[in-house]
Amino acid sequence: MPFGFKPGHRARASRRRLSPFRTLTIALLAVALSAAAGGFAYFIPAAVTAFNATAQVVKIPSPSPGGLFFSPSPSPSEAPQSQGAFTVLLLGSDDDSKFFADHVLTQSMILVRVVPATKEVTMLSIPRDLYAHLSTGGFGKIDGAYSYGGAGAAIATVQQDFNVHIDDYIWVGLLGLIKVIDAIGGIDVVTTNPVLDDYYPADVYGGDPYGYQRVAVLAGPQHLDGLHAMEYVRSRHGDLQSDFGRSKRQQQVLTAIRQKAKQLSPEDIPSLAAAIGGELKTSIGLDRVARLVPLAASFDNPDSIRTIVLVPPYTHGGGPGGSVTPNWSLILPLVHQYFP
Amino acid sequence: MIARFLLAVGLAILMVISGTTSYVYLSSRQSRAVAAPQKPTDPTPRAQQFTLPGTIYLAQSGALYSFSAGRFHQLTGEAGWTQPALFPDGSQLLAVKRSALFSDVYVLTRFGNVTSQLTNNQAPARSRWDTGANAWSFYPRLSPDQRTLYMSYDGPKAAGNGYFNVVMEVWGIPLGGQIRQGRSWTTANDYTGGDMQPLPLPGGGLIYTKYSYDSNANRVGQLWYTNRAGSAGKALTSTGANCAQPALSPDGHNLAMICNYGKQVSYLTIASWNGSSLGPLQTVISDQLVAQPIWAPDGSGIAYLAPGGPAAPFQLWWLPKARYAPPPPPVPSPTPGGPHNGPAPTPSPTAAPTPPLVKPIQLTTNLGFDATSSLAWSG
Repeated sequence: MPFGFKPGHRARASRRRLSPFRTLTIALLAVALSAAAGGFAYFIPAAVTAFNATAQVVKIPSPSPGGLFFSPSPSPSEAPQSQGAFTVLLLGSDDDSKFFADHVLTQSMILVRVVPATKEVTMLSIPRDLYAHLSTGGFGKIDGAYSYGGAGAAIATVQQDFNVHIDDYIWVGLLGLIKVIDAIGGIDVVTTNPVLDDYYPADVYGGDPYGYQRVAVLAGPQHLDGLHAMEYVRSRHGDLQSDFGRSKRQQQVLTAIRQKAKQLSPEDIPSLAAAIGGELKTSIGLDRVARLVPLAASFDNPDSIRTIVLVPPYTHGGGPGGSVTPNWSLILPLVHQYFP
Repeated sequence: MIARFLLAVGLAILMVISGTTSYVYLSSRQSRAVAAPQKPTDPTPRAQQFTLPGTIYLAQSGALYSFSAGRFHQLTGEAGWTQPALFPDGSQLLAVKRSALFSDVYVLTRFGNVTSQLTNNQAPARSRWDTGANAWSFYPRLSPDQRTLYMSYDGPKAAGNGYFNVVMEVWGIPLGGQIRQGRSWTTANDYTGGDMQPLPLPGGGLIYTKYSYDSNANRVGQLWYTNRAGSAGKALTSTGANCAQPALSPDGHNLAMICNYGKQVSYLTIASWNGSSLGPLQTVISDQLVAQPIWAPDGSGIAYLAPGGPAAPFQLWWLPKARYAPPPPPVPSPTPGGPHNGPAPTPSPTAAPTPPLVKPIQLTTNLGFDATSSLAWSG
């Protein structure tokens, strides 16, 4: 018997010595775990961005004191949520150096109602210059609501004036839209006409937030990158319908983005998240976003998306300060029909 | 104990490697949907081994390329070049070079060397807020006698700051002449974008795309014809069809165009042309986003641009003639065996054979041609 060897040591040593099978199993497990950890680390920035951008808490102010205005509509009521339908307010803003952070005008306001059961989508563009009662008090152009009181004020204004119930909002900054479209590899759009503008704001890459530049987006089918898509949806000077024409183009591009988003895969998420970092905010929680993605993908036919622009006679020009005056007696029945 | 220690160290190294590899692998991944287009001259992917007659000129990312015998050649640098057009004798190219504020028309050799500048649209800013003295020139074409340059042009603009009605009109200027020697052939509708894509006709006159508002205040494109400068002209297509980008067949008897009927689609459409009016519109392709159709010089088909997949960049496609002009049904041959004296045989009720549907052929993949740039094709 060797020195130091005691009975039972051999048995314990053999238990400590791992069999090749167990060693291999542990090695494979370790590799799998570390690979998963590597993948997890890769998606962490996207997850952080998603957490920061989603589930924004909105404080919707109560309507401004009575007597200051005559509201054309009763206070918003909880609309029946038929068949899981929901309404989202899309807000798009210039967020360049002309403005203080989060005190921006909303150049684009689009109400979107989705009825999953019937796969109906309705988009109603609200003219940015619409002269409306603001939830923060007084009257003014509706694009100022966000600047005075953030998303909550914008939602409250639209709810009280249009008599709709808004479930959630999504806000996108100017640069955000450009980056998102670039991150998804561009979009295919049939531009309706040449969009020519000698006084397009040079605030994105022009280096002068108050300067102007010329743009020419030619007509016809084309693949647009973010910058040119932005020029297409933002220009309004060369359009007889001004903001109304622009609203139609915005709806077109939104539809194209949705079409392109269906082609993306999970590996594109981090670059997309990097693109929208700080440029997108929404009250929709991550869990609902996850549920909405497959829903959005199931809407196959872009022509089934109903688009509404409040052109005359729903509105007419000549309002105070260059605003657009609403014809509520026509607008409210229309809104009630499509946003019950 | 040493064995276990070694095992632990080995596992740790393995985990670091696999974790890092996983991260790096995912970082390098990108779905095809968001991948940037490749240059046409990249070795892979090569254009399909399908030989088209002659040479096609097209634009991608601000550079002009020629495509012949299944190979691309880069003619210019990526410097805003677009909209190539051939001289009618095929000797040289016209093309537009676009800058941020203006664009000009140049003459280039077929190998991409600039030989002259035909317009000078750059102008100093009138103020910090007004760069509107600059002008755009787009879609240049030469008259069949090569003496007149036609183009869409948005100048000269006498109005100053705050003039928002920027529209293009079709101008004709003597080749090599100044813009002041030219004149507008068309009168654009205000706030529409104007008149684009002039197509000079062999017998004189022009076909072009005119943008206007329809009865629902939607802006639409229409093909128009005018036989002299300043004449009112006439519409060739309806506002409802919403057509643009005309291209005349080599024999001059047919016109290809795109029409979208007010939707986010773009149909390849052809119609007969008798020199002053169009025949009925015939939709040839309705399941692609077709742009910039052009006839083969030998009349064997139509090339065009369309996305290579859903919401993807535009590729070069080829549609053989058999798709839109199927061969006539065979004439029944006389019954062999001479005159038949008996009762006439009853024709069998079999239906005439349906000609097989000729599908378009995708010639390129992973490229990203400028779909607003017309194609040019030399024989």
